[in-house]
Amino acid sequence: MSRLLGTDAPTDAVLRAALPSRRAMLTALGLGVLGSGSAVALLATSAWLITRAAEQPPILYLTFAIVGVRAFALARAFFRYAERLAGHDAAFRGLGAVRVAVWRRLTRVGPDGLANERRGDLLTRFVADVDRLQDLPLRVVQPAATAIVVGLGAVVAVALADLRAAAILLVVLVAVVVAATSVQRRIAAAADRELAPARARLDALVLEHVGRLDVLAAFDAVDASLARIGAADAAVRSADLNRARGTGAIAGIGALGAGLATLTVLLAVPVSEVGGPVLALLALVPIAAVDVVLAVPTALSAWSEVRVGAGRVARAAPLEIPPELPGRPAEQPAAVALPEHGSAPVALPAGLPDETFAPVALSAGPSAPVALPAGHGIRLRGVAARWPGASADAVSDLALDLAPGERVLVTGPSGAGKTTFAHVLVRLLEYRGSYRIGGVEVRDLDPDDVRRVVTLIEQRPHVFDESVRQNLLFARESATEADLFEVLRRVGLDDWVTARGGLDARVGDRGSLVSGGQAQRLALARALLTDTPVLVLDEPTANVDRDRADAVLADLLGSAAASGRTVLLISHAPVDSTLIDREVRLA
Amino acid sequence: MAGPIDRRLLTRARPARTFLVLGALIGLAQTLGIVGTAAGAALAIAALVGGAPAASALALLVASVLVRTAATWALEGAGARAASAVKSQLRAAVLTAVSAAGPDGMARRDRARVTTLVGRGLDALDGYFGSYLPQFLLTVIAVPVLLGVLALADPETAIIVACTLPVIPVFMVLVGLATHATQQRQWAALGTLASGFLELVEGLSTLTLFGRQHRQEQRIANVTEHYRARTMAVLRVTFVSGFVLEIAGTLSVAIVAVTIGVRLVEGSVPLALGLFVLLLTPEVYVPIRQVGARFHASADGVAVADEVFAILDDAPAPRGPRAAGARSLELDQLSVGYDGVEVVRVSLRVTAGRITALAGPSGAGKSTVVAALLGFRPHGGRLLLDGVEATDARHAIAWAPQRPALVAGSVASNVAMRGPDVSPAGVSPADGSLADAELATVRRALHLAAADLIDPALVLGEESAGLSGGQAQRVALARAIHRALTTDARLLVLDEPTSALDAATEAELVGRLRELADQGIGVLVVSHRDAVLAAADTVVTLGAGAGARAGAAAGADAGARDRAAAGAGAGAGAGAGVRARAGAGERDSVAAGAGVRAGAGARAGAAAGTAAGVGGGAGAGAASVVPLRRGES
Repeated sequence: MSRLLGTDAPTDAVLRAALPSRRAMLTALGLGVLGSGSAVALLATSAWLITRAAEQPPILYLTFAIVGVRAFALARAFFRYAERLAGHDAAFRGLGAVRVAVWRRLTRVGPDGLANERRGDLLTRFVADVDRLQDLPLRVVQPAATAIVVGLGAVVAVALADLRAAAILLVVLVAVVVAATSVQRRIAAAADRELAPARARLDALVLEHVGRLDVLAAFDAVDASLARIGAADAAVRSADLNRARGTGAIAGIGALGAGLATLTVLLAVPVSEVGGPVLALLALVPIAAVDVVLAVPTALSAWSEVRVGAGRVARAAPLEIPPELPGRPAEQPAAVALPEHGSAPVALPAGLPDETFAPVALSAGPSAPVALPAGHGIRLRGVAARWPGASADAVSDLALDLAPGERVLVTGPSGAGKTTFAHVLVRLLEYRGSYRIGGVEVRDLDPDDVRRVVTLIEQRPHVFDESVRQNLLFARESATEADLFEVLRRVGLDDWVTARGGLDARVGDRGSLVSGGQAQRLALARALLTDTPVLVLDEPTANVDRDRADAVLADLLGSAAASGRTVLLISHAPVDSTLIDREVRLA
Repeated sequence: MAGPIDRRLLTRARPARTFLVLGALIGLAQTLGIVGTAAGAALAIAALVGGAPAASALALLVASVLVRTAATWALEGAGARAASAVKSQLRAAVLTAVSAAGPDGMARRDRARVTTLVGRGLDALDGYFGSYLPQFLLTVIAVPVLLGVLALADPETAIIVACTLPVIPVFMVLVGLATHATQQRQWAALGTLASGFLELVEGLSTLTLFGRQHRQEQRIANVTEHYRARTMAVLRVTFVSGFVLEIAGTLSVAIVAVTIGVRLVEGSVPLALGLFVLLLTPEVYVPIRQVGARFHASADGVAVADEVFAILDDAPAPRGPRAAGARSLELDQLSVGYDGVEVVRVSLRVTAGRITALAGPSGAGKSTVVAALLGFRPHGGRLLLDGVEATDARHAIAWAPQRPALVAGSVASNVAMRGPDVSPAGVSPADGSLADAELATVRRALHLAAADLIDPALVLGEESAGLSGGQAQRVALARAIHRALTTDARLLVLDEPTSALDAATEAELVGRLRELADQGIGVLVVSHRDAVLAAADTVVTLGAGAGARAGAAAGADAGARDRAAAGAGAGAGAGAGVRARAGAGERDSVAAGAGVRAGAGARAGAAAGTAAGVGGGAGAGAASVVPLRRGES
């Protein structure tokens, strides 16, 4: 189907995921055919009724038509209502599964693989482009199918009365569809292709703008940024207008076609042969029939938009995991299967995990993941790693032994690869060489399992726009109120949290309501809550004042020593030598 | 939505008014086309049935069809054009308003919501201008005209239509009232979806590290499901009302058709007139029915418009002109609050050729002071530029924030503030758009930021991907230095510039800051690092700040302690506790600053020793010790 539709396999997979079940589609289609059919029949019956009545037959002869007019009128309204309800509901249900699949792909690539993806663009893909997929059943498949069925039905019905009229109708219908499609294409084809990327570009610029308004304002660059947004807006606008011109052309051609058909039938079919009432019917049916088949060019226009959107959704995350990033040792549907959800009717097809999108290409890995080792001693030999897209290794030929319970300080100049090293340890980055935990090569383990042994407190931790409580709880879900206050006290945030109204205080978008040092201390509180045997701290106190930093580090390293936890502390600042066992310097 | 036409949209958006006038004219032409088509078709059929010549009737039919076609096309086109123009105008207005409200105002909004609002959100206005307003115009123009024509042609039918017609708008208003709330909820659900996703993407590394990324699948499924449920709630109302309107419309048409049919049988109406009435009657209902159906599309847009106007109404008045090129900055008892509670109060002085350091424990409000200098936060007290009172010092300041906030693109374009590279395909090749002279300035700025080794052509990803934390920090620093070198903003304000640097790089950077000062640039550096404080000509230390003060446990005496610390700051500004730098190597500082340095000297020992050292300083030190003591008890 790919070649025919001008799509590729990953796009097809997204399109398939967005289509409702066959049963839902057929229901909506059936209702649509009945609704549109009723509309055509209503006009035909009315025309016949009027013209026949003009011949002044006994009223009895008209009863059937009178009932027909009323029935078709009611049926048209009812079926249209039922079709829209059924169609929309089915169309929306597929989108949840697509969004979950997008997220799943993002998590597989991981944070270090998304460094080059524009946030605004991703947001557009996730929200607007996925939303647009509902048009596939609603504006493409169902209307087109309905139009074809009803259009052909009208031709057949007219043929029963008069073959010439049927031929004229068929020619006009086909001509309208072909002409409208080609005109629309000519006007709007480029716009269809450009619109989605142009919108994404606009969104990306807007997000950049609002996301660093402080810098723009401070550098008198707000107007320049607004001008860039204005230019992107103009691009969207011109694509938008071209599309609208195309849509307008469809309506215009339709009206023209309907008029022509009526005219031709009146000229071609002599009234003497078919009689007045039938002639009226033959002349007026094209008006309704053309209206119905116009859905075909409109659907084709919607299709090109849907296709672009589906392609963008399919590529929300890189299609292949680059070799610089760790792959999962083997696909484990169980590990990624969705948890059961109760009554919530979230339509997540059973086969979602790997059929929704094309399979993710993995970097090399053995056939089955190895179970977690019991020991937590770490040994690195000849380890090298680089960031996706980089041309050189950020670290190379690293060798290090970490005994359980050891506290090691890692120092080195800015840019020496300290953070890269930390990302290797927690399997965010792939490595070459050998990295063993408890004697097991880490490459053979599930990265999620590795992170159950080794976790990292990042240099720039993310503070979620939630309450303080939520920001801590995900480090240890079972933590009680007292536990949370205890860790907050240990990092010196208890008074601050109390002043803000307790654990339910919000921290703002990207932690905008907390200072840099407070965000880092929240992250340290998370570190205190986790119980992984190995803890890596990447510049955990860079933005915290010296005295507070010393106190928190003393607390953390001291309690680690007491509990036998291994700590690898990355810091450019000197650390009290009594708190650490040894220092390693990266050059 | 107060009335059928949103006045705010018309008053705020000029293209909308133009469209109303243009649309009315086109609507009139379209109405004439409708009448002509019906008359032409009816006369032609009647003539043919009766065996009379039908040429003139057919000509009328053709002409009318052409007029109608052209008008339909023109009206849709005009609607789309108006929608597009209004969207652009509102988009620009919202962004200008958001920009004017500044980062402080933005902190109260959600980035994803604002982005979704000006993108996908404003698209909802397509429905308003693209389909609702044209139909509304048609209703206002076509319905009376068509009704009049019907009344002339066949009064009996006109009476039937006139009786059934009012049911529709009455019903519409009732439905509209019910829809507004559901519509708002749907819009809110969309916002939640967008901001939730952005949050997850930005927090992906944190989520992954804590093994929480897979659980977000359920969250996404739930949020999408919530959005679906909200959307369906809106659609159900839409569809039911569409259903009722359609039933009302078609039944009325059916009544007319049957009545006409019966009258034809009786012979009281000629065929041509019967057909004409039959063809025209549905046309009376079409626009009014469409208005009902598209009212919802418009309600969607109006819900969005509500949010747009909320932002526009919220925008502060445009700022007055500000002094640029100032060579000195003085803060006299400058105070900044949060939710009406004073967070920080400080007095200090930044002058050309000198380095002033602002120290204090985490959360003391150091960055808040900087935000006030930049005009991002309202403040009390006095702010003087070259001795002249000003509202803020933004134009005189070159600022390096704590969070680097670099954008996708090359290092050089970041340093020169060339704007982001947002080609959706990802990283594009380095831009060669910078002229050699410009590049030389960029290199010089990088050199002064101790970042000589960073290649200006290096292309960064999102969130300064491609650079280490310390490197990103120095690029942000170079960006500020570049501004100081190339514009009138000769006061360099650096927020924690060395927090991610090792001691050697830090020492190098401190040397460069002195170099900059010697070139006549005034430097204010926010830092808690000893090397930086030691290099400053003046050190001003802030108290323990809001956290400690507002703490319920701290009680009343905490306030007293804060005043002590603030007093120290004030003294620094007034020059009481600070002596000006006499020679190149000589430095002076207020008592609190000395305390910090004393603490640094004693740092070799354990944490308790450090705390004692600081405790020997001023009130600020004492405040920072409080939590420690409690920890030990």
